[in-house]
Amino acid sequence: MKFLCVPCDTPMKLQTVAPPDRGSLSIVYACPECGYEMAMLTNAYETQAVQSLGVRIGPESDTKASDASACPFAEMIPAIEGSAVGAETPIRWTAAAEARLANIPGFVRPMARTGIERFAREHGALEVDEQILDAAREFFGM
Amino acid sequence: MKGYHDIVGDGGSRILEQVAEQRTRITDGLAGVRHLVAVGSGKGGVGKSTLTLHLAGALRARGLRIAILDADFNGPSQARMAGVEGALFVPGTHKVSLPRTRDGIAVFSMGALIPESQALEFESAAHGESHTWRATREFALLGEILASFDWGALDLLMFDLPPGAERTVQYAEFLGPGTSFLLVTIPSEVARGVVTRSVAALSKGPNRLLGYVENMSGYYCRDCNAVKPLFVSSESAALGIPCLGTVPFDPELARHCDLGIPLTALRETPVGRALDLIAQRLLDGL
Repeated sequence: MKFLCVPCDTPMKLQTVAPPDRGSLSIVYACPECGYEMAMLTNAYETQAVQSLGVRIGPESDTKASDASACPFAEMIPAIEGSAVGAETPIRWTAAAEARLANIPGFVRPMARTGIERFAREHGALEVDEQILDAAREFFGM
Repeated sequence: MKGYHDIVGDGGSRILEQVAEQRTRITDGLAGVRHLVAVGSGKGGVGKSTLTLHLAGALRARGLRIAILDADFNGPSQARMAGVEGALFVPGTHKVSLPRTRDGIAVFSMGALIPESQALEFESAAHGESHTWRATREFALLGEILASFDWGALDLLMFDLPPGAERTVQYAEFLGPGTSFLLVTIPSEVARGVVTRSVAALSKGPNRLLGYVENMSGYYCRDCNAVKPLFVSSESAALGIPCLGTVPFDPELARHCDLGIPLTALRETPVGRALDLIAQRLLDGL
C-alpha cells in the first residue's frame, strides 16, 4: 500500500507505527514536501493479514519495532517446557552462546534453551558456552 | 496525479521487499539441496507420512543424504514415527541443526516442538477469524523453517504434505517449479477420486508429477507369508501418471511407526521390497 499527498503529488513517508491496540495499528505517514500527516488505522483483519506474512511493520529506522517483531512466531507456541526452576542452580549462558541462540527462530528458542540447559546439567556444566553447544550437536549426531 | 506504479517503494514499510528477502533466504537455505520432492495426495489417511518416512529410509540405505520436512503443521506425525519426538534443537553458528533418525535422516516436524496433547496455535489480532489468515501464516512459518534450519548438502529434501487437493497446489506454488511431486493413494474409488483431482490441479502448473504409489494394495499376512486383498477390487480409472509401485499393508510396519523404529528390520519383507523398488523408480524419475 502506498500513500500519495494529492496537493503535492508526492509519495508520503512512513513515520511511526504505534503498538497494536485491540488488534489495530496506528500508522502515521507524512508528506516530505508540505509536512501534512495522516494516520492509517487498521482493523484487526488488516493487521492480521500483514502480520501473517511474517514481515516487520514499521519504518526502517525503527529499531524498537524491529526488535519486537524480528520473529513473527516468537509468541506463537506457548512455553512448552518452562525453564528449569526450583532447587536447581540456574545455568549461565555466555554471550557467544546467547548470540547463537538468538540466531534461531523464536518459536524454537524456548525449547532449545531448556533442552540445552538440561544437556549441560547432565554433563556437569553450569554454564552454556559454544563448547557445550558443539558437544550437544555431536552427542545428538547433528 | 501519480499512480501506484509511478511511485518507487512504499514509503518505508518495505512489505514487498521483506517478502522478497524471505524468498531469498529460503533459496539460500536450500542451495545445497539437489532435489525437492513433495509427497502428497489430496486425501487424508492414505499413508503419506508413513511412505515418506520409509521411502526416505530406503533412499538413505542407498547412501543418499536425506531430510524430511513434515509440512503437516496441524497434524504432524513424523516426529513420533521417526523417533525424534522431544529431540533437542541446537543452534549452530548461523542456523539450527536438525535432529536425525537412528539411520541419519534429518527431520523437522512440529511434533518435536508441540506435545500431542496440544494443538498448534498462533498469536492473532483477529481472534475467532483464523479462516481469513491462517493459511498465509502457515506458509510464512514454512518459509521461516526452510530459511532457519540447517539443511546443508542433501540429495533429497522430502516434504510430507497435509491433506487437501487445494493445499497440494498451494505447496507447489510456494515451493516453486523445481519441486517434484509424488502422490499417494489407496485402492479405494473415493481416494483415487480425490487424488485424480490433485493430479488435475497440479497438471495446470509447471511442477513435475513423478507418479503415484498405491498404498495398502493388499494385506500382508505374516502367518501365511502372502499378500491378500484388503479392498474389494474393481476397475479403476487411470490416474494419468505413472504408478511407481504398490505397497501392501503390514501391521508390523504400523507398529514400527508408532514406536519410531526404522524400516531396517522389515527390509526383507514384501513391504520392504516394495519400498525399495519405489525408491529406485523415484530416483530414476528425478
